[in-house]
Amino acid sequence: MILRATLCLLCLASPLRAGVPEALTGHILPGYAGFAEAAGDLAEAARQDCTAPALRARYQLAFDAWTVVGDIRMGPSETGALAVVFWPDARGFTPRTLQGFIADQAPVGRDPAAYAEASIAARGLFALEQMLYGAEFAGYAPGSYACALVQTMTADMAAQAQALQDGWRDGFAPVLLSAGGPGNASFLSETEAMAALYTQVMSSLEVTADTRLGRPLGSFDRPRPTRAEAWRAGRSLRNVLLYARAARDLAVMLAPGPLPQTDAALARLEELAGRVSDPGLQDLDDPAARLRLEIVQQQVRTLRDTIGAELGAPLGLSAGFNSADGD
Amino acid sequence: MTTRRGFLATLLAASAAPATGWAAAGDPAYLAAAKDPQGGFVLAGLQADGAELFRIPLPARGHAGCAHPRRAEAVGFARRPGTYALVIDCAGGSVLHRLAAPEGHSFNGHGAYSADGTRLFTSEQVAEGSAGRVGVWDVAAGYRRIGGFATQGLGPHELRLMPDGASLVVANGGIQTDAFDRTMLNIETMRPSLAYLGLEGDLLDLVELEPDLRQNSIRHLALRGDGLVGFAMQWQGEPGAAPPLLGLHRRGGAVTLCQAPLAEELVMDGYAGSVAFDGSGTEIAITSPRGGRLHRFADTGAYLGAVSRADVCGLAAHAQGYLASDGLGGLLLVEAAQARPLRRAGLSWDNHIVPVGGQGHA
Repeated sequence: MILRATLCLLCLASPLRAGVPEALTGHILPGYAGFAEAAGDLAEAARQDCTAPALRARYQLAFDAWTVVGDIRMGPSETGALAVVFWPDARGFTPRTLQGFIADQAPVGRDPAAYAEASIAARGLFALEQMLYGAEFAGYAPGSYACALVQTMTADMAAQAQALQDGWRDGFAPVLLSAGGPGNASFLSETEAMAALYTQVMSSLEVTADTRLGRPLGSFDRPRPTRAEAWRAGRSLRNVLLYARAARDLAVMLAPGPLPQTDAALARLEELAGRVSDPGLQDLDDPAARLRLEIVQQQVRTLRDTIGAELGAPLGLSAGFNSADGD
Repeated sequence: MTTRRGFLATLLAASAAPATGWAAAGDPAYLAAAKDPQGGFVLAGLQADGAELFRIPLPARGHAGCAHPRRAEAVGFARRPGTYALVIDCAGGSVLHRLAAPEGHSFNGHGAYSADGTRLFTSEQVAEGSAGRVGVWDVAAGYRRIGGFATQGLGPHELRLMPDGASLVVANGGIQTDAFDRTMLNIETMRPSLAYLGLEGDLLDLVELEPDLRQNSIRHLALRGDGLVGFAMQWQGEPGAAPPLLGLHRRGGAVTLCQAPLAEELVMDGYAGSVAFDGSGTEIAITSPRGGRLHRFADTGAYLGAVSRADVCGLAAHAQGYLASDGLGGLLLVEAAQARPLRRAGLSWDNHIVPVGGQGHA
């Protein structure tokens, strides 16, 4: 599913605790708080009016909030994020599961607490995208089963967002901050905690280049625009930019000083993305549109390499020993 | 840790005798290969508490393939293309023998000794076509090659001596690789299998997966004393398919697939790198260095839980549960749902931990 990017190791002998508390208090914890608030707002809006047109603006805001921390895969988010963003869905689990619920009027669709046990394919932002934007789903009427299902899904996502916020604040942040301490089996040194956070930055940009952009680009002969992330909601390009900003912001928190080259690379990415014509990337059959997106993809990789050179290399980071070499 | 020099000095008298027993090497509980911070490669002997008994330099990155049941000898296999293996004297620290794969064959990283220690069996493939072979070596004759037989599948990986001492189980990965650049050639048609073979190569049992799991390469094995075999897999099909990565089998029975919840399977990234029963034999675990995760299952196949640890791969039975190792140098004791650090070595541990004494049956 989400590509696990290169794991990075810190080979420095000296402890580099600075950066970990800053990343938590300056980026990660506010990020989860922001998503919890936005997801709560969406659920509240759905209680008032559960029809698709009434919810789309709040949905977009919730997705925006998610991207601040959405590519983090550690602690509570290691599996927890997958129930918020079940994507890519190569085998079409999400529409199939939702169709099944609607056809059967499944009771779980009216029960937010029980919905926590539903398939992750039917939960979170991409299942909601189907309900709010998907041609076969979004036309539901007030009072219909589908309308109740959307209320349930938004309530479930708000609960997930709250659980992630709590899990990070009360559970995993202390684990990161006590790296190297007795009994800490997650991080055997302070540098491991730093390396794990740095890995999140690099992984995010790799997922964006390889999957968010690589999947829809497909091959020149066969572009696959419907493999773009969140294309129904028209926010494929926006996600590329927001995830890249989040990666840069987290990198800045980890860095001992400013990262001017990284900032310049991000500015260039924003400029190049501004030339892309369709925010949902549905025009990739046009060779000119394709070329513009390939240039964006290249710049995402440049941003990753720039962060690697400006932040990673001075800290002595390299690829994981076993994860980088199968057996 | 005893320095090698000091260690050698203290063992000078002992190592004069041929075929030294494991006691002379300090009775390690485990062997593990690793990369040191200078970029060199070593074979380390570990106590059950993770403390290091010895560290022997290796000429290149290798797997700690298997340990002789009595002599302080271990076989380390060269990484790809696997043209040679080394028999290492774990008491003296020297290379006793260098085994060359026959012309046109390569070693595939694993081997097993016979119960009496007189034979070494090595997992090999014919470079052209990837047909699996078991190489047979006469230990007493200085590891002379005395024969070989088919594994009944392509691209074999781990092989183990069954607890009956009279048969082998081989993980036929099913993948045909290009003889020169190792490109996978048959992903659409691959057929991995678990082959049970007599020590002369007679086929006793061949187990294949259902057609929808044929892209799940069977690669690593764990054995329990009663003959229950755990096999760990690596998915070669569509990413995101989240297939089970562990199976259980007993000769004559059906395969039990061990499936974790969907989000957990997705974190594993379709890849299991090592498999082991726990010390009690009542549960079994697999590791995914790609996912930084360990999954535990009951011996019935039921999912028990996960442990998160970056680059975790090596795994072996421990009296209190499992010993796990990782590329960051960590040695963790996994006791039921609880992991605790035993030690952090200034080494990157390689994929496997090899138990010493018997064949590591739980």
